[in-house]
This record gives sequence, structure tokens and C-alpha cells, in this order.
Amino acid sequence: MALRAGYLPGINANDVEWQTLTYDRDGQAIEVLVPLLSDEQMKDLSGRIKEVSRQHLKSMAVSDITATIDAAIARLLDRNDTYRQQAEEYLPLITGYDAEMVRLGLTGYLKTFRQSELRRFVAEDFVNPKILDEFQPLPKGGYGRAYGPDLLAHIWAGNVPGLPLWSLISGLLVKAGNIGKVPSTEPLMASWFAHIIAEIDPKLGQCLAVVWWKGGDVDREQALLNQADLVMAYGNNDTLHQIRDRTPITTRCLTYSHKVSFGMVSKAALDTGKAWEVAHQAAYDIVRYDQQGCYSPHLFFVEQGGAVTPQEFAQYIANELDCFEEKFPRRSLSIEEASGVAAWRQSEEMKSFFAENNAVMGDANDAWSVAYSEAEEDLAPSGLNRTAKVISVKQLDDVPARIAPYKAFLQTVGIAAAPEELQRLAGMLGAVGVTRISALEHMTAPEAGWHHDGRFNLLDLVTMTEVERSAETAAEAFSDYVD
Amino acid sequence: MTEAQIIKTLLDFIAADGTTDDEFSPLALEIFAYQFENNIPYQRFCRQREKTPRTMQSWRNIPAVPINGYKDLTLSCCDPEAAERIFMTSGTTKNGVRGKCHHPTLSVYDTSMITAFRQRFMQEHTKLRMGILFPTEQTMPNSSLAHYLALALNEFGSDGSRYLFNDDGLDHEQLFAELDRAEQTGKPYALLGASFSFVHVMDKMSHLGKTVSLPEGSRILDTGGFKGQSRELELNEFYDLLEARFGVPRDHCINMYGMTELSTEFYDWGNATCPSVKSGPHWIRSQIVNPLTGEELPKGDKGILVHCDLAHFNCVSSILTEDAGIELDDGFLLLGRAEGAEAKGCSMAVDEFLKAAQG
Repeated sequence: MALRAGYLPGINANDVEWQTLTYDRDGQAIEVLVPLLSDEQMKDLSGRIKEVSRQHLKSMAVSDITATIDAAIARLLDRNDTYRQQAEEYLPLITGYDAEMVRLGLTGYLKTFRQSELRRFVAEDFVNPKILDEFQPLPKGGYGRAYGPDLLAHIWAGNVPGLPLWSLISGLLVKAGNIGKVPSTEPLMASWFAHIIAEIDPKLGQCLAVVWWKGGDVDREQALLNQADLVMAYGNNDTLHQIRDRTPITTRCLTYSHKVSFGMVSKAALDTGKAWEVAHQAAYDIVRYDQQGCYSPHLFFVEQGGAVTPQEFAQYIANELDCFEEKFPRRSLSIEEASGVAAWRQSEEMKSFFAENNAVMGDANDAWSVAYSEAEEDLAPSGLNRTAKVISVKQLDDVPARIAPYKAFLQTVGIAAAPEELQRLAGMLGAVGVTRISALEHMTAPEAGWHHDGRFNLLDLVTMTEVERSAETAAEAFSDYVD
Repeated sequence: MTEAQIIKTLLDFIAADGTTDDEFSPLALEIFAYQFENNIPYQRFCRQREKTPRTMQSWRNIPAVPINGYKDLTLSCCDPEAAERIFMTSGTTKNGVRGKCHHPTLSVYDTSMITAFRQRFMQEHTKLRMGILFPTEQTMPNSSLAHYLALALNEFGSDGSRYLFNDDGLDHEQLFAELDRAEQTGKPYALLGASFSFVHVMDKMSHLGKTVSLPEGSRILDTGGFKGQSRELELNEFYDLLEARFGVPRDHCINMYGMTELSTEFYDWGNATCPSVKSGPHWIRSQIVNPLTGEELPKGDKGILVHCDLAHFNCVSSILTEDAGIELDDGFLLLGRAEGAEAKGCSMAVDEFLKAAQG
């Protein structure tokens, strides 16, 4: 049986060209049919979504939209629901991630979209959320209302299950019509979510669609870019560059590029009682989705002077990674991925020839590697897929200056430190471009309403219409009660 | 063995045609022992893997150095200062560092090149009039490809063979004059150069609406591929275009696969179908391995290429490339560079980071 991805309101499935994606993991092959629209179909679909978005969605209250999203999320959290069951069954096969890791990851992630969290999400960006529903008085005078775009185009990338829901839900919260392009690496989750929304509220279901084309098919991409009022794109710099170049000048294009995240461990956290737990947390962040997320740590700066040395701490992480391999085995790697891991590992080994205390822990056959360095090393990504580096530093305060040149690539820093250190480091890290600081073990699970790459997820999507005080005053002169 | 003995043995080995594993392996192990003894960074590399000449049974077990190793280590048996020539790597560099291959003498490199080139490119011809679409050796003294092409021209080019490259790049005027001349004389012609030079030439020809029909027996040699260039062509499209623009049938369009970290080149027997089967002469052997463990993969599985090139005697003979391939009975399919795998999610990978950080 082939699964079907995509969600195309108002289009007869028989009129669409379906292509087959095959996923073969450890001998278990599954096929997913994905829809490839013609230019004409894309144009019609865009037109209809814009129309329903203008006529219907814009007049819905945000609270009604959150209620529908909440109901959809509830189904995805319910292990008796067929969609949830499909997600648990097929996402591990498609992405290769360990089934238990996917299951736990989905639950943790989806919980951040319950109604109360969605309200928090809106309140993060809008002091007065009612501004999305109707004109509201503005502090400077006059009135204002925030409008989402009629058509928001999402171009998603990557295989971390469920990530597309993030921007899709953002779009719905600001009453945007949405067309999302799913990546071949995980085309299902966004499609299922769209179907559930449509089952709960058929009219709202007409305000979103999920499409596919093969990455790099610029003609199909252009068809959507031409129709969109706002574009949100994810991917590497080359991909984003060409998407931005081809977006019409009057259309805004928001890009989310690849990032590097890392951890910091203070000597305060390195006493013999606590260090194991900290290492366990650090290893968990490495293991979650095999470091494929922008918030996944590549390296850890570990402070000298604690009861546990940075080198011992590196060994602790290595041990924890080894234990996690039992519980959440690493997914099988493609030749390209294996080559990336090997190149990183071998390069670290070479360095250890010159630097006495550098070391590479883990055997070439292990599903993880930890490199340890005492050299003045700069920020650099690891080989991914459970490879990490521990860099020993005299004091954590030296780290911000070392990472400052890489401002454009920084995102999350996971910190284990005492309160006053946390305060001090947060100020220094923020100043060099870090946009999120979390505890270790939480790096890969941002809290609801977080500001992705430091941006305002909802505010960035809207345009304000303001009625200035002069218009109000002038109108008075034309009222029928004027003296 | 001393350096002089190694050189003598190698020259004899190259001259002797057709060898079996039984003859290849002992020499490979002797050269490994020589490198192990004289190349200290390589010795450390081997010791870390618990491999020494004493434990070695076959060339297949010789530790292969990742080509990136040339950027971190000086891998030379001779005093690097005493080298006759240093070839340097190009392409993606790590912190701007280029890998160096030291050659105490070019005699082995040259003999290796000449012997294989005669068999694989010249075939029925002793000499051919040649045009080179690449800078001269004087312009690029550290480029192994510039040296390779100079050898081709000097050894096998008939009178009138020349570089079709000047200070400003490709010399289209001279090139077109040469092509027209070849068409008129009816004598076979050979055009050699970087794959990407051919793309530029064909773009220019397309712009001018020019095609030529080179005489029967003419041939083309391209090398290097398109990675990292502003324009990438599918191989089939590339060879179709070559055939259409120059009138050289695809089975006479030969692709050479070589690298700075080797002293021997691989060739195919034309590109009627792509990807073509590549093979090398009897003094180089290849394996397909799992890059993580270095273990050899069963025939037919996709993996990373390891080459053991006896002619690269001064550095290390066995290298782990970044090229993906599949082993066949008569050679291997080259599937292109196993791009240091971009993350499947939104995390940044090493290659992308290097590129971005260097602007």
C-alpha cells in the first residue's frame, strides 16, 4: 500500500500527477505518493485559497482558530487516533529515526501547541491579541489592526518530524491562507495535519494546502512564489539565496538558514555528584534527532577547575552516548552522511597527532564519537549524527569573544552554570548574536512561543493598517451630529 | 629499500605489462614499509590504527589516509625541501590551507602518466595534433593537471600542437582557427582540458551558432567535472553537447579521473553511456569501502573509493578519497563526490560552514 501525502482542497485527485517516493530502510520499503501540480493548478489553488482566506478566515476570531488547532493537536496526541497511529508507524520508517524517539519527540513537541500554549504564543507577539480580530486603540493615538497575508507560501526542508507545523500554525494564527511545500525527506506530517484541520472545520480546511515538488524544480517553485503575498523558506544558504532572488520584489521573503548551536558547562556544574547528570543531559541533546536540528549542539565548552576535569567530562558524555545507543539507536546513515562523519573523525584524529592531550573517543564502529581538545579552537560544526566535541576552556567568560565572528550562524546555547554566571553569560552571548539560551537537555525542545532565530514569529507575518487620529478628527466634521 | 631502489623497482614494474594480485601485493607492502619508516606522520597514523608492516598481509589492509590529511600533515618520505616538484591541491580548502604532495623526482610520475596515456587515450595513434584548454605548466607550476597536460603535449603532440589559452583565459580565436583547420585537413585532432573549459567553449560556440565536425579518429579528453562551478551539467547532457558541437562521437570522448594526491590516472573507454566504467593501469588498485570503518564492501555496493597507487611512492600510496563509487568486474563506476552530506534538518554541516565562513 502506498501512502498519500499532500492536501489539495478543491482539486480532484484524479486530475493531479502523482509521483512516488520510495523509502528503503533496513530492507523495509514504503512508498509515498506526492502531488505535482501544473502551473495552472497551482494558480487556481492559490486563487481559491486567497479568496477563502479573505472572505472567511479574516472574519474568524483568533480564539476560534486556536480552538480548531487545539482540537487537531489533541487528535495527534491521542494514541488511539488513526493519524497518530500512522505517524508512529511511518515517520520512523521515512526518516530513519528510532521509533521511540519519534514517539516521545512528537508528544513533547505537539504539547507546545495546546490551546493555552497557543494563547501564550499570540500574547508573546501581540500585547493586545484582539488586534488580529478588529481595530484596537493604539498607544500613540488612532486605531490599528494587524492583517495576515492572503497567501503565505511555506517552503520547508529537512526530516525532523513535524517541524513544518510550526510555521503552518503561525500562518493560521494570523489568519493567513497557506500553501506549504513539503520536503521529500518527510512529506507526511504537514499533510496529515491539514487533513485533520479540514475534518474538524471544513471551511478552515479550504484555507490551506500542502503541495510537493522535487527540491530544485525552480519552475514549480516559481509558480508558487508568483502567487504568494509572503514567503517563508527554510534551507541552506544557496537554496535560500535563489528563492529570495526569484521572489517578486513586492513580496516579502523570510528566510531561516542553517545554524550552529553549542553547550557551555561551568565548573560549578562539575562536582562529582552533579557532573554525570549534566553529561547525561548534554548527551540527550546530541542524540535527539541525531543533531539534525538548528538547535542541536555540535560542541561543548567546558570550564577547567571543577572537581571533574573537562577531559573526564568528555568521557562522561561518551559513556552516556554509548548508553543512549541501546535505548535510541542512531538511524542508519547514507554513504554521504557516513563520509561526513568519517571526514570529521579523521580530521580530529589528525589533530590529535600534534596536540598531546587531544583525543578522539569511541571506536570507528560506534554510532557516536566525542573529540576532546585543549587547543584554542574556534567554533566549527561537528560531523553530525552523534559526533560532538568538548573544548576545554580556562573560563567560560572567554567563549563569547571566540564565537563572535560566527554571529550569522549562531542560535541556541545550552548552559549548565550557577545563577549569577547564567546572567552574566546571557548578556555576553546575546551581544554576539546568540538568540536562545536553554538548559541542557532542553536544547532541542524550545518552549512554546519561542522566538525562532530571534525573530517575531507572528509579528513578522502581519501588516498593520492604521487609522490615524487625523482621520477620526476629520470625520467628526462630516457627522450628522456636527454643530 | 632506499629511495633509489624503490624508483628503479617501480620503473621496472610499470614497464612490465599485466600483473596479478600476487605480484602487486608484495611491492605494495614493500613500499608501505618504506613509507612507514620514512614518513613519521604516516607512521603515527598507522600506529593509531594498530597497523604496522609486520602485521600486514595484503595491499588491501594498508591504512588509507583521508585526502584531507594532506592539509593537516606533511606526508613525505624525502626532505620536503629537497623535492623536485610540489603539487598542491585546489578546491575546498580548510582555513585556506592547500594540501601538498612532494615529488623527489618526477621520473616515476612521468613514466606512469606516459605509459597509461598511450594505452588509454592515444590507442592506435602515436602522435596527434593537440589543443590544450588549460594554462601552461609555467603559469601553474604547482598544478599536477598542468604538468599532466604539458606531458601529453610534449610526448604525444604532433607539430602544431598548442595551448589554446592565453593570459585572459581561453583563446577562442585560435581555438576556432585550429578546429577549422582540422576540419579542412581531415586529420584527426585531439582536444584536451578541464571539463569546465569545455563548457565555456561550448557556451561561446552556442552563442556564435558554431559547430564543427572533427575528422574521424579525433578525440576529446576532459577531466575534473563541474563541482563548485557556477554551472553544473548532467554528464549525459555534457557528452551529448560535446558530440554535437565538435562532431566527436561520445565513445571517443574520454574522461580522465585523477587527483593531486595520486601519481596515476584512471580513464574510461569513452562515454557512450554514463556513468562510464573507470579503470587504471596495473600499478594502481582500488577498493570500495565503508568510510566509517574502512571495511571493504561487497562488489556492487555503493561506498567510498580507496586507491592504492604504487607510483605515489614518496607520500602515501593508499588514500581514502571523498568520491563515491561502485566496484564492477572491469573497474568502477565513479558516482561523484560524496558531498560531506548536508544535514537533513536545519543544522549546519561542515562543508556549508566552510563555504559560508569564507564568504
